[in-house]
Amino acid sequence: MLIETRNLTHIYMPGTPFQVEALKGINLGIERGEFVGIIGETGSGKSTLVQHFNGLLRPNSGEVLLEGRNIWAGEINLRQIRSRVALLFQFPEHQLFEETVFKDVAFGPRNLGLDGEELEGRVRYGLELMGLDYQAYKDRSPFNLSGGEKRRVAMAGILAMKPEVVILDEPSAGMDPSGRRHLLEQIETLHREENLTVVLVTHNMDEVSRLAKRLFVFSGGQLVLQGSPAEVFNSTAIIKEIGLDLPPLTALLQKLKESGQNIRTDLFSLEEAGKEILQHYQGG
Amino acid sequence: MSAIIKLQNVTFDYPSGDVKQIRALESLSLTIEEGEYIALIGPNGSGKSTLARHLNAILLPTAGEVRVDGFLTTREEHRWEIRRRVGMVFQNPDNQIVATTVEEDVAFGLENLGVETPVIARRVAEALEMVGLQSLRNHAPHLLSGGQKQRLAIAGVIAMRPRCLVLDEPTAMLDPRGRREVLETVMKMNRQEGITVVHITHFMEEILEADRVIVMDRGKIVHQGTPAEIFSGELDLYSLGLEVPIIPKLIQMLRSGGLNIPAGVLNVDELVNFLC
Repeated sequence: MLIETRNLTHIYMPGTPFQVEALKGINLGIERGEFVGIIGETGSGKSTLVQHFNGLLRPNSGEVLLEGRNIWAGEINLRQIRSRVALLFQFPEHQLFEETVFKDVAFGPRNLGLDGEELEGRVRYGLELMGLDYQAYKDRSPFNLSGGEKRRVAMAGILAMKPEVVILDEPSAGMDPSGRRHLLEQIETLHREENLTVVLVTHNMDEVSRLAKRLFVFSGGQLVLQGSPAEVFNSTAIIKEIGLDLPPLTALLQKLKESGQNIRTDLFSLEEAGKEILQHYQGG
Repeated sequence: MSAIIKLQNVTFDYPSGDVKQIRALESLSLTIEEGEYIALIGPNGSGKSTLARHLNAILLPTAGEVRVDGFLTTREEHRWEIRRRVGMVFQNPDNQIVATTVEEDVAFGLENLGVETPVIARRVAEALEMVGLQSLRNHAPHLLSGGQKQRLAIAGVIAMRPRCLVLDEPTAMLDPRGRREVLETVMKMNRQEGITVVHITHFMEEILEADRVIVMDRGKIVHQGTPAEIFSGELDLYSLGLEVPIIPKLIQMLRSGGLNIPAGVLNVDELVNFLC
């Protein structure tokens, strides 16, 4: 198991009248090379959870393990953990701070002790993965870039560290469709070709149903459901009860089934769903 | 129908210190009819927000002219009239809150206009009713959810009784529930109150209810039509950095597979009705 939580509980402002139990005894595990999705309403504990994966938050009780080792026990090396488990925040443009794109992307790898040609190579690698030309961008100020470009520079800085795990917390909020598509395609390619472990926190059920192999569903600080997209989205009663949407294709297939068709509801790609519908309705 | 806003050959260059000027709008002409619901889409940097800021004289054209209800935006003495007619709501709900209670926040603009107190009270109550926040009128705005904050921003604008509402990505920072709340509110303003709406968005599924969709690219209007026309498959949205939402995409696929689905069908319920 690459990342594991055991009985993880997190309380914001403990001992005050504002105390909130954001996570209640969470047990879950993520294997190396998996692509998992985390879904749930705002305030369900998703972001709090993933900030434990790289030691940004410390549990009030319970454990977070990276390759079987409790990250808060013994000699703690958070810098090393954060280079292995990288977190891209919501609105990552707020993470930019250097005066040039080069320096910004280089920040993480430099902290890993890289310099000279090796550092330059990493910066080039990160920028090019995100579709930004190294020569054209390296000397520009990150603050004069468009929103979508800033987002990609922030992501380049993370990928330049060559992390083993990338956590994306609502990575596409506010991006235009092509920026969103590009970002997710790059992540998927890294996942497929370099065995990158990906944790995607999102409200976009359509995206997550097609990308993730396994989903964790949160509600009120608890892990209420886990399984494949088919298992999760066919647990319609729970999904509705906790206020989540179904992916549009699933909603459609389920309604057709309710109307009496013996149709499959576990298909998430456009091609498969389209074929299934055509088989039932063609000429009919 | 009569035109409420008219843009004629509007060009706009952003002034820029170190690099060359950036042309954001290129000789753009557009007529917005009273009561229309217009959705404005286009990739980042296509000029959507720049266009929106011309509609109530936040930005003034470098060349060409913008008229709101006949008033020219470049005439300083007209700006007051223009801003009374066209209200704006922006992306970030937290940047638009000015007061310590919901009610005071809505009253802020009216107080600045010097409206009499009893009138303010009535208009605030009406506006909160319209956006569904009357039960929260004494709450602190910063404790509202994102969707509630954006509805509050809309109430603040509505209380001024504008004839046109311009929304620049009002749902970009919201979760699905907040997005639904805001969309329903905007739709109600348009359908029930007859307020003209110009809605900028990156969510393609949000434009399905619009009367007219305008597609921008590099400072120009490159396409316009009904949602059904925009998503019929004839337009190459992909190369414009845009996307057809999944259900209209599926419908295109079913059509080419031989199903004779009529042009108005765009969402799940309409498709289920057609198939069953």
